[in-house]
Amino acid sequence: MSNPIVSTQSLTKVYGQGAAAVRALDGVNLTIQPGEFVAVMGPSGCGKSTLLHLIGGLDRPTSGTVWLDGQDLTQLNDDQVTAIRRKKMGFIFQFFNLIPVLNALENAALPMILDGMRPAEARKRAQEWLERVGLGHRLTHRPSELSGGEQQRVAIARALASDPALILADEPTGNLDSRASEEIAGLLRQISSTWERTILMVTHDARIAAYADRIVFLKDGKIVDETVLEHRNGEQAEMVADKMKEIGD
Amino acid sequence: MSVRNAILGLLCQRNRYGYEVLQAFQAVAGGRETWELKPAQVYTTLARLKENGLVVEEISDGETDPGKRRYAITPAGKAELQRWFETPVPVEHQRDEFFLKLMLALATGQADPRRLIYLQRASLFQELHRLTTLRMELDPYTSLAHILLLDQAIMHIEADLRWLEMIEARLDEVRKQPIPEPELRPRGRPGKHEKNIIPMKEEP
Repeated sequence: MSNPIVSTQSLTKVYGQGAAAVRALDGVNLTIQPGEFVAVMGPSGCGKSTLLHLIGGLDRPTSGTVWLDGQDLTQLNDDQVTAIRRKKMGFIFQFFNLIPVLNALENAALPMILDGMRPAEARKRAQEWLERVGLGHRLTHRPSELSGGEQQRVAIARALASDPALILADEPTGNLDSRASEEIAGLLRQISSTWERTILMVTHDARIAAYADRIVFLKDGKIVDETVLEHRNGEQAEMVADKMKEIGD
Repeated sequence: MSVRNAILGLLCQRNRYGYEVLQAFQAVAGGRETWELKPAQVYTTLARLKENGLVVEEISDGETDPGKRRYAITPAGKAELQRWFETPVPVEHQRDEFFLKLMLALATGQADPRRLIYLQRASLFQELHRLTTLRMELDPYTSLAHILLLDQAIMHIEADLRWLEMIEARLDEVRKQPIPEPELRPRGRPGKHEKNIIPMKEEP
């Protein structure tokens, strides 16, 4: 078996001190293999955001370790964590925040160019990913000429083009209607199955989570259940929703 | 200004007691957590509006609240409200406290700019999640307006996060450039010998 992309050991985050201390995350052990698509679900306040922050190098744990692609983030200083985050992680947000005056290709290539890559190389990579996400015919279109779903695809191509080891998707379908949401979930599915990229997604939406390989349920800062999905095309959404209910929303 | 004009709008809707104005403002602004008003601010604003003839007070003669004062909008108040509706809201996105902090960190060398970015990013992510959670708790069939308000806030935060990425990527370039300083210009009229310091381009 290859080395995991993400591995946390007894990951714990406590906010505040003494009687007011809140254990946002309490001894979480989570391993994600290369090419895996993992969804994290749980009621509000369960610690899913905290988990994403710690794995994303945006916050530091109180105790425990986070390994990302063979490196222990907790042993690195801020600058080193930042360097790793920039190099190895791609973020997908709810909104696309594309730059209006740049076309799809330029939007997807920009972060790599800013990071010092030769523009020709950055454009080549950006184009490759835009073609993969089905936007090969829209390269020179500006955001205003693209639909919401297409804009999110550009944002996804932008996140993938720098070839990060891990994609962090933070409620990626938060503002889309249900059809567009499922389209994006299907695309994330494809990114994992076809192009073997590793995805960690936090979501509250059972229909979207049902596209993952595996769902981890968090409650009160602990993993309380874990489900490996048989069909990864949204068909098991009802089962996932029932599980969420069981855990207590 | 926006509070004052919103109060005119609320009084245009119907006459209200001072306390009702406060409650109604917070309700339309997206809840108390979004925009908390102090009663004192409402009453001083109402007093100023009255002074300017934009609202009047009516003393209630009803049995429930005898002597309690209800505010009503005047025609001048309605005209003022109309002016507000007709004037676009100015945007102030270029005034940015984080930008100031960053520039001063660079200028003084008293803080590591990367650390500032790190702290700011962590805080933006926290806020992003708080707002996302809030939005999920709202029912789109009854609270769509509030959802759109939260969407606006979320979009801004995500844009700020992208902006931090850009700053981070170009920080070394920024560092190589001079920190903006005011142009030193001697006060008063320049002396004779100071004239024509900048050589004029010769006309072809």
